[in-house]
Amino acid sequence: MTRFVESSITFPYKRSLGPVIGAFMTALTDQRILGIRSGDRVLVPPLEWDPQTGAELPADAMVEVGPNGTVESWTWVPVPSEQHPLDCPFAFAMIRLDGASTPLLHAVDAGSPAALAVGTRVAPRWRGVRQGRIDDIIAFVAGEVSEVEGVDAGPKSEPVLMMDYNASITYRNPVPLVLDRVREASREERILGQRCPVCARVYAGGRGYCPIDAVELGVEHDVDLPHTGTITNFTIIQPVQYPGQTETEPFARVFVLLDGTDVILPYQPVIELPVGDVCVGKRVAAAWAPPGDDVDEGGTMGGAYGHLIGWMPSGEPNIDDPDLVNRIF
Amino acid sequence: MVHANGPAANGPSMSTDIAVVGWAQSPMIRRTDLSETQLLLRVITDALEPLGLTRTDIDFTCLGSCDYITGQAFSFVSNLDAIGAWPPKRDSHVEMDGAWALYEAWLRLQEGDIEIAVVTGSGRSSTGDPALIYPMEMDPFYLAPLGVDPLTFAALQARALIAAGITDERAMAEVAQRSRRDAVANPNAQVKGDFDVETLLGTDYVREPLRRHDLPPITDGAAAMVLATGDRARQLRDRPAYITGFDHRTECHNPVYRDLTDSPSTRIAAAAAHIGTGPLEVAELQAAFTHEEILLRRALELGDDVAVNRSGGALASNPIMATGLARIGYAANHIFDGGNRALAHSTSGPCLQQNLICILEGTP
Repeated sequence: MTRFVESSITFPYKRSLGPVIGAFMTALTDQRILGIRSGDRVLVPPLEWDPQTGAELPADAMVEVGPNGTVESWTWVPVPSEQHPLDCPFAFAMIRLDGASTPLLHAVDAGSPAALAVGTRVAPRWRGVRQGRIDDIIAFVAGEVSEVEGVDAGPKSEPVLMMDYNASITYRNPVPLVLDRVREASREERILGQRCPVCARVYAGGRGYCPIDAVELGVEHDVDLPHTGTITNFTIIQPVQYPGQTETEPFARVFVLLDGTDVILPYQPVIELPVGDVCVGKRVAAAWAPPGDDVDEGGTMGGAYGHLIGWMPSGEPNIDDPDLVNRIF
Repeated sequence: MVHANGPAANGPSMSTDIAVVGWAQSPMIRRTDLSETQLLLRVITDALEPLGLTRTDIDFTCLGSCDYITGQAFSFVSNLDAIGAWPPKRDSHVEMDGAWALYEAWLRLQEGDIEIAVVTGSGRSSTGDPALIYPMEMDPFYLAPLGVDPLTFAALQARALIAAGITDERAMAEVAQRSRRDAVANPNAQVKGDFDVETLLGTDYVREPLRRHDLPPITDGAAAMVLATGDRARQLRDRPAYITGFDHRTECHNPVYRDLTDSPSTRIAAAAAHIGTGPLEVAELQAAFTHEEILLRRALELGDDVAVNRSGGALASNPIMATGLARIGYAANHIFDGGNRALAHSTSGPCLQQNLICILEGTP
């Protein structure tokens, strides 16, 4: 039975808005909605170019529209997602704001689909604290009267230039069977690899296929790998505090060539080896978590193989070989 | 850019015929135990073996996949393991359906210095929730922050078509009924069987005016296709499916600026692919929603004499990133089986934003 693992990835984007979208977002903080004139038409939401001709549209062609409008088309969302602007059933609608030539796609908090029709008049419900984002309008509501939810904090005093967008997606991936065998073997302090029956190359870890010959590898191809090796290359990382970063001090990631093989274990952590002492040619031995410790899976980069938590100095003299540094694959 | 087969006044002339000579697809299922790379390992082998080819015969590969679906940056790098990329090969990748990978391979083969290309499309849609992934790919300022999802876009386009009198909910249900009935003969169809239109119309809306039968299933799967040129194509298959027209066009990214009752990009691409130079027997359209088939038939001016989506289409199985390539594969099957002329269509983006037309024929 294949095991699946879940992992969540966040996508924290910071985007610059430019002269036209920036002006639109800045106006939202003042409860005003802007379009942009292109010939006889007024495009809402505004773009820096005309989508039909590609002609550049200057920021001084922006004009105020709405804020009320008419529903031109709609669909009902009976079960909202975590990304939707409302957590109760609502409509997504094409809303033609008064004075606009194109519709704005936004949410309508209508209560039930029976309350909506083509031609329904709507007005915005504003957030009290507005940041200069399209969701400063929580949703549109039926009628001609705009609303503000909570205390009105007023417009931003400075132009809005940037926008944050943070999405988080949970992924569910199958774990290759060999990866589970590698982890299980690590509990017995063994490093499992696989030998390709075609080219005889040996691979460490849990891919389950030979990328040279494009053949799948099974349990019959498993081999035990040695526990000592030599650092061929390394990098010292100054941790940048991106979301999810747990390291605070500089740390090393090393490439280890296992003795008597062509196998390189990439991006390995080191143990009891200060950053300043890491060098090419350093002899190392596998370091294992204490029996019974619950070791997490590690990432694809820098993750150790189960109970193999890293590499420590073996005490042997360094190897002086100028070709070593080239061995990263 | 080359828009068409044959000598052109301002473009390169095509000295070599280019044909689809074989293809394979993985089982199309709701959730596979295999990784995307494993899917590709098997499907590439399945495409090559019946032709007597191995990976060493491949001169060029182009893979179509999507990092957002896989949930991994540069996921196409591990997919390269499936092509046996050592010694180093000529390879490319498109963050698009495999149909666009095919387009790139078709362009590359026109240089005339290589003979065989393999293209793939692959995706494990079950890895994440499509309703949460696709909003990230929409307009980042006006649409993504609202989480506007594929069902919403499809529903708004269906509503526009109904309001314009181009279709109605019954005609849409009839598309679902026919697709599911045709899919019975297709072992790779997930959704199939005999359904009564009245029964279908009696079910609840998922996203008004769309009901469950108007939507595609969620599918994991991959497809691989082998292209060959000139004499090599004729050696590999008695009746290659020659690509005699190929074009794709795109429209504005945000549907609010478009007329959703029309598909001008489909029409222009079809004209550039020479749709009108002879009668079509079959058409495979990447219509993941019932109303899209109705709109595409109209844009392509397909008559009732053209058999549309005999495979069951994307309504029967919808392996995102391979759905379009599979359409070209089914159209090629028609030529392999003795047919003369077939059209395949692929699409990308919200409300049929970008459209690709490929014409396949039994003679170059």
